[in-house]
Amino acid sequence: MTTVTQPGAAGPAPDAGAGPDDAFLSVRDLYVRFGTEDGVVKAVDGLSFDLARGRTLGIVGESGSGKSVTNLTVLGLHDPRNTEVKGEILLDGQELTGAGERALERLRGNKMAMIFQDSLTALSPYYTVGRQIAEPFRKHTGASRRDARLRAIEMLEKVGIPNASLRVDDYPHQFSGGMRQRAMIAMALVCDPELLIADEPTTALDVTVQAQILDLIKDLQQQTGSAIILITHDLGVVANTADDLLVMYAGRVIERGTVREVLRAPQHPYTWGLLGSMPRLASNVAEPLTPIPGAPPSLLAPPPGCPFHPRCGFSGDVPGDRCRTERPELPAGRGAACHLTAEQKRTTFTEQIKPRLG
Amino acid sequence: MTSSHQNRARLAAVALAAGALVLTACSGGGGGGGDGKESGPATDKNKSSNFTIGTEADSKGPAPAVPGAKKGGAVTVLQRDAFNHLDPGQIYYSDMLTAQMLYNRSLTAYKVEPSGKAKVVGDLATGPGTASDGGKTWTFKLKDGLKFQDGSPITSKDVRWGIERLYADFETDGPMYIPQWLSGDGTSFRKALPDGPYKGDHLPASVLDTPDDKTVILHFRKPHADTPFATAMPNIGAVKAAKDTQRKYDNAPFSSGPYQVADFKVGKSLTLVKNPNWDPATDPIRHQYADRFDVSFGHQLQDQTRRILAQQGADKNAMSFSNAVDPGMTQNVLNDAGTKARRFVEIQPYVDYISFNMTRLKDVKVRKALAYAMPNGQILQQNGGTTAGTIATNYLSPAMDGYQATDPYGKKAHPAGDTEKAQALLKEAGKIGQEIVYAYRNTDVEQKVAVVVTQALQKAGFTVQKKEVDANTWRTAISQVDNKFDIYRTSWGADWPVPSTVVPPLFDGRQIADGSQNYGHLDNPKVNSEIDRINAITDIKQAAPQWMKLADKILTEDVPGIPTFYNRQFSLWGSGLGGIKYQPVYGTVDPTSVYVK
Amino acid sequence: MLRFLARRSLGALVIILLISAITFFLFFALPSEPALMSCGKNCTPDALAVINKNLGLDQPVPVQYWHYMTGIFAGRDLTVGHCPAPCFGYSFSNQQPVWGTIVDRYPTTLSLALGGAFVFLIVGVGFGMIAAARRGTVVDKLFSSLSLIGNSLQIYFVGVIALGLFVSGGLRILDEPGYHPFTENPGKWFMGMLLPWLVLSIIFVANYTRMTRSQMIEQLGEEHVRTARAKGLSRRAVFFRYAWRGALAPIVTIFGIDLGSLFGGAMITEFTFNLHGLGRLAVSSVTETDLPTLMAVMLVGCTAIVVANIIVDAAYAFIDPRVRLA
Repeated sequence: MTTVTQPGAAGPAPDAGAGPDDAFLSVRDLYVRFGTEDGVVKAVDGLSFDLARGRTLGIVGESGSGKSVTNLTVLGLHDPRNTEVKGEILLDGQELTGAGERALERLRGNKMAMIFQDSLTALSPYYTVGRQIAEPFRKHTGASRRDARLRAIEMLEKVGIPNASLRVDDYPHQFSGGMRQRAMIAMALVCDPELLIADEPTTALDVTVQAQILDLIKDLQQQTGSAIILITHDLGVVANTADDLLVMYAGRVIERGTVREVLRAPQHPYTWGLLGSMPRLASNVAEPLTPIPGAPPSLLAPPPGCPFHPRCGFSGDVPGDRCRTERPELPAGRGAACHLTAEQKRTTFTEQIKPRLG
Repeated sequence: MTSSHQNRARLAAVALAAGALVLTACSGGGGGGGDGKESGPATDKNKSSNFTIGTEADSKGPAPAVPGAKKGGAVTVLQRDAFNHLDPGQIYYSDMLTAQMLYNRSLTAYKVEPSGKAKVVGDLATGPGTASDGGKTWTFKLKDGLKFQDGSPITSKDVRWGIERLYADFETDGPMYIPQWLSGDGTSFRKALPDGPYKGDHLPASVLDTPDDKTVILHFRKPHADTPFATAMPNIGAVKAAKDTQRKYDNAPFSSGPYQVADFKVGKSLTLVKNPNWDPATDPIRHQYADRFDVSFGHQLQDQTRRILAQQGADKNAMSFSNAVDPGMTQNVLNDAGTKARRFVEIQPYVDYISFNMTRLKDVKVRKALAYAMPNGQILQQNGGTTAGTIATNYLSPAMDGYQATDPYGKKAHPAGDTEKAQALLKEAGKIGQEIVYAYRNTDVEQKVAVVVTQALQKAGFTVQKKEVDANTWRTAISQVDNKFDIYRTSWGADWPVPSTVVPPLFDGRQIADGSQNYGHLDNPKVNSEIDRINAITDIKQAAPQWMKLADKILTEDVPGIPTFYNRQFSLWGSGLGGIKYQPVYGTVDPTSVYVK
Repeated sequence: MLRFLARRSLGALVIILLISAITFFLFFALPSEPALMSCGKNCTPDALAVINKNLGLDQPVPVQYWHYMTGIFAGRDLTVGHCPAPCFGYSFSNQQPVWGTIVDRYPTTLSLALGGAFVFLIVGVGFGMIAAARRGTVVDKLFSSLSLIGNSLQIYFVGVIALGLFVSGGLRILDEPGYHPFTENPGKWFMGMLLPWLVLSIIFVANYTRMTRSQMIEQLGEEHVRTARAKGLSRRAVFFRYAWRGALAPIVTIFGIDLGSLFGGAMITEFTFNLHGLGRLAVSSVTETDLPTLMAVMLVGCTAIVVANIIVDAAYAFIDPRVRLA
């Protein structure tokens, strides 16, 4: 299975094409289930993907689609007492699902790091920014307090904090939102991770700062060549940043392809909906966004058949009861998990959806 | 004594409530032992016949040795209420009266034999004093070899100083018999020497004379036959002028007895150690067996009883001067055979009454009906039963000289009250349904007493209106002459076992004023003149039966109240102590011959 | 920070003055006659007048209040003699300088309260942390039920049982509790206070166990704790450095609020174990209508609680930089 089918399709990725053998991160048939008082939540339901060094994978979906859970599972940050994980996660050839806590601790913040959405809550209010950046560096490199502090200043400079040597002793609440997000990026990158997971890194920021942060992540990737997973609910964010794209719905991937493929010719009605709800700088402000009707399905009892069918405006185009009864398969490589025929998908998008997107 | 004594008891009750010590409060009443009949453990040795006035020979030291007594060791003394005075001039409460016996000597004192017999003998003086001028002049000779704690001799000048300092305005708490007899009633005596001896003035020789170092002569305004008792009060002793720190003397009195104050922490503890300059040859009463007395305060009755019962460590040598066994633990103590040799129950010179306010209850038949109806046995039961007292039948305690076991209202036969007689009297008076305003303190015990009293009175045909009064204001409330209550609990304890300290303060109509002890407001000219007549009798032995007769006459004819019970003291001490005996005048444990086994 | 402390202190001063004035005037509004306490048996109106004059009760109440309050700082001349500052007057019931009694008593209460607080903070917070770390296990359930039992216990009840068990009854492994000055014999001080500390702390331990547990669990679910884990910090480091740090602030806040009940608990403990501290003095001064002592205990107690609260506030600022640097 090859995620990236078209070398150099998007971005300046030096590493053209990553197969299961040369993938840096490889996730196979991942199932994640939570036991709750109300029943078992199937948060991730048979997920597979590969990611090569230097590439950026975007994962898009509404909240509750399983995109964040997937990545917490990769880091091993799920609660082992109520979570059941099946499948395999290979990082640079190392199996993570069965790895011990110690082994994971050595990897976290070191080989793989994460940037969280809300830097105000994700940074501890009780310690200085500098200390929080220096902490994983000391832990993983055994550096002295002094060296770690110098490293923290260096990182703050790298992410564009002015007066870094002074601001290093500030507390998070003394930083602006954008600066705090930069500091968090500095913290994630302090050990030069080879895998960087960014979970909605710009959602809490205003639009101009969003662009700066995304540029920063891209710049840093060019310098370090790390693999990045960019989680977002906003297709606009991935458009300029990611190489490849997974669209997730109800714990499953429902569409896969390069960013260009998916944005140019989306095949799944859900992706169409996402595009419709995406604000565009160029679009007419007066024209209202068209959100996807309905609410995300309950993961306790997902709908039978295609999980999207209750919200899908096109299930009538599929003959019989297939959408309600039969679960559509995701084809290997580029494709979408939908019962519509390839022709239906193409014509519906070009004739009905695209004109509305303007 | 008792009014003060009760005052302190009441304070402790409030302290308990305030401290939320529910457990203790629960056991505060009821409980008790026995059923109020003969099953009680009491062996009251305290009888009027036990009291005599001693001779010069009785007054000679040293005190007879206690068989088996040993020297050394420390006695632990557990007291509930803190001593607020050490100055003998300020002492009036039974606990401090008992403590001062160890460090203070007075002109006369009580010599108590193990049998319970008590004699008034000379303490600083060679004898109980000699009267002349028809009982108006009293002469005391001091013994040889008397010394203060610094070894300086005690002379008549020191006794004079001790008496004259009572005239200073800060000396307000003690009994004032001698100054009043010398210089005038009430507080008028203070005018004779407004600053005490502190500004160089002294009483004239015509009042208080010290012709030489060994002689003290008191010139009273009227004859006082019971002078040897009055001079046994702790404030008629010796105070060394050079050591008199006035108010501060309360912290560090200068000892003339076998022990001296080593340390006094206000509200907390008092340590008494041996006084090396005390000469046993001069002292007919006291010993110096133990090395020290460690007195500590604030032990609730339950806590104190528990500790002495358990006898853990130093508590083996623990006692209390004045605190009784916790009423809730009476049975624990009685059921423990091991305590038999280390406890006593003795009758105290304290009597509890229900006073009838004659200002409001003018019909004598109504008062008589009340007297008949009062359920003495049930009232005693609520106060702790047979270990707390015994049913009273007349105004005088059995410990009073002249006491006779008269029972005009049949209290022995009718411990729950004689309802029929009471009803008959009410009917005769045409007052069936008579309303009675019954005031009582809002304490646990009094509330229980109120229930039984109300029931008994209602059965007899009264209508009872209960008025609960805050314990803090109780004394003020009932001592107002124009109070709006009909009946209320009062009590009285004699300062010495002669009825002249009972009948006049309680029943002399000329004393009625706010704050006086004549709570029934009896003002009968015939009674008043009879009081004057008996007071003038110089032989107290002759006077005693006449007081008794007068007291019974008042009880049967005027009825300003009904006695309910005579108090008893139930004491327990550690098995490591010996030489413990009952002090019948103070109603406490006599510490003067205590030793550590 | 300094300005904050100054503002707090000023506010506290106003509160203390207000409380003192209310206490003083309320005392006179209630029917009580302190002079009766010193009036012996044959108390007459003129004897009462003499005592009232001695006690200074013959003056108008506001004048008495003014004298009392100024005396604290300037000293006073009383009928008894000069009373040097800090002068809290002479006790109505035993005519001793009140300040001497306070100085004698406060080490007991201080030892009791500080020791008790130390025990319940260590034990309560410790249990809470263990329960949180072992959430859902037998240990957690055991601590939770213990805390439920502890919560329903009362000092005077536990105290009497503890005395019966350890001192006079079956086990007899401890001496009669009592206060011995720390400066004289620390070992005796410790042994004498041990039982009172344990009993006083019991009612608090339960609360602090529960509170610490829930705070820790809440903190462990915080995003910054997850971030710390994502950085590769060990569970232990995250637990102590991040979650506990976050739980500390609310614990300190509650502790500040609890100071008042700590004093109240110390008072009951003093009664149960026959210790002579300020709590007991406060009660006896009320029952003996001893205004100078009552005022002194009240002023000293309020000041102590207020000062402790300011310290707690300062500690809070120390713990949370958002407060400190706001």
